[in-house]
Amino acid sequence: MTATMQPAPDSALMDRMRTGDEAAFSALYDRYSAMLFGMLTRILRDQQAAEEVLQDLFLQLWRNAGQFDAARGSLPAWLMVIGRNRAISRLRGRRDREVLEEEEGDYANTFASGQNIEDETVRAELARSVSAALGQLPVEQRQAVELAYFEGMTQSEIANKTGIPLGTVKTRVRTAMQTLRRILG
Amino acid sequence: MTGSHANPEDLDLYALDALDGEEKQTLEAHLRACPACQQQLAAARQRTALIGLAAPPAAPRPQVKSSLMDKVRTEKQSGATQIVPSNTRKKRWGLRFSLGFGLATALLAFATYEFAKQDLDRGKQLQQLQAQLSEDAAALQAMGQVTGAPDSAQITLLQQPNGPPGQAHVLYNARMGLGVYSGQIAPAPSGKSYQLWLVPSSGAPANAGLVDANQQNGAVVVRLAPGLAPKAFAVTLEPLGGRPQPTGPMVLVGSAG
Repeated sequence: MTATMQPAPDSALMDRMRTGDEAAFSALYDRYSAMLFGMLTRILRDQQAAEEVLQDLFLQLWRNAGQFDAARGSLPAWLMVIGRNRAISRLRGRRDREVLEEEEGDYANTFASGQNIEDETVRAELARSVSAALGQLPVEQRQAVELAYFEGMTQSEIANKTGIPLGTVKTRVRTAMQTLRRILG
Repeated sequence: MTGSHANPEDLDLYALDALDGEEKQTLEAHLRACPACQQQLAAARQRTALIGLAAPPAAPRPQVKSSLMDKVRTEKQSGATQIVPSNTRKKRWGLRFSLGFGLATALLAFATYEFAKQDLDRGKQLQQLQAQLSEDAAALQAMGQVTGAPDSAQITLLQQPNGPPGQAHVLYNARMGLGVYSGQIAPAPSGKSYQLWLVPSSGAPANAGLVDANQQNGAVVVRLAPGLAPKAFAVTLEPLGGRPQPTGPMVLVGSAG
């Protein structure tokens, strides 16, 4: 009979990393790099740039391991929010958001406690739910949300890019977020 | 806005960074004063962060990890990385230039004599003082390295519009990853700390540690990763104990360019 190995929780790996344990750092990289790299590549559309952001992100995690407080928010949440901020900054040359908007409090509880995305299966299932929720949106609403999330555009910028009246863009983005809120909770 | 609170839709849009202009300013002004809406914003961040999962996962090339692990190993061996416990101050040294190192040594000798006459509890105090002076000696040595290096640069940090009055200087050597900060700012509000950051030309700001409001007579030595060139240095106002990344307003900024 073989025992099933349970993956070490993020908190345990973070504890080990605080003592300088490279293996723990390596395990966290293996756990979250694909999720992050997918998002970064989608935003930057440049593999090398995405790799650089990914490296910087994990290097920051290594350097600041001692200051990360798991009680204030989950690790993947931090990685997703900060990773996106950096990618958008790089994409759009908006360094101000890197400097001032990586607000620790903003990612607290970003992934609700019921969603244990440390587990790869759960993570994949959640990703499917999100994709399905976006897929339920009318095309024009989904496009507006994707321009905002993956290209970091404001409503005015979306209106300028698409030639659609600002009021219409606002309605689309708001309606889309209402729907996502209803579906994803 | 609905009544006294922000619309959920506005919070969603703000979390997406899709709000701009007057709408954004109005919401930010409200958020600063409304803890309830700040909580709602955290929930909105949850929804927007989930959108990123819609991008299909993709494995980065193996070289990315190997290069990253090399960097980590190098930093670990060089001691450039300081892994500090949560909610503790980054290690720093409080140099007291007004006293001078010689005077500090004399004080140690006096303390040794005095404490020798006292009980064992005083011995603990002596150990603490010795440890502090040992750190001061290390800081003094670091100071000498920075000031003696021809490629060190001095950056003056100036107060920002509507910010508290103050000014500071950072003498920094990017090659060594070593710097000295001194300056004075109006006292931080209760429950807040001033935190110094090295802002590189690319990548996130590097935490250079906490600084006291009055750092005129006691400089702070900071150690960062060697080779990290500053585009600027900035002091921000953060929650007590500081944060891994800047969250508060910049109160002092100085360009290294």
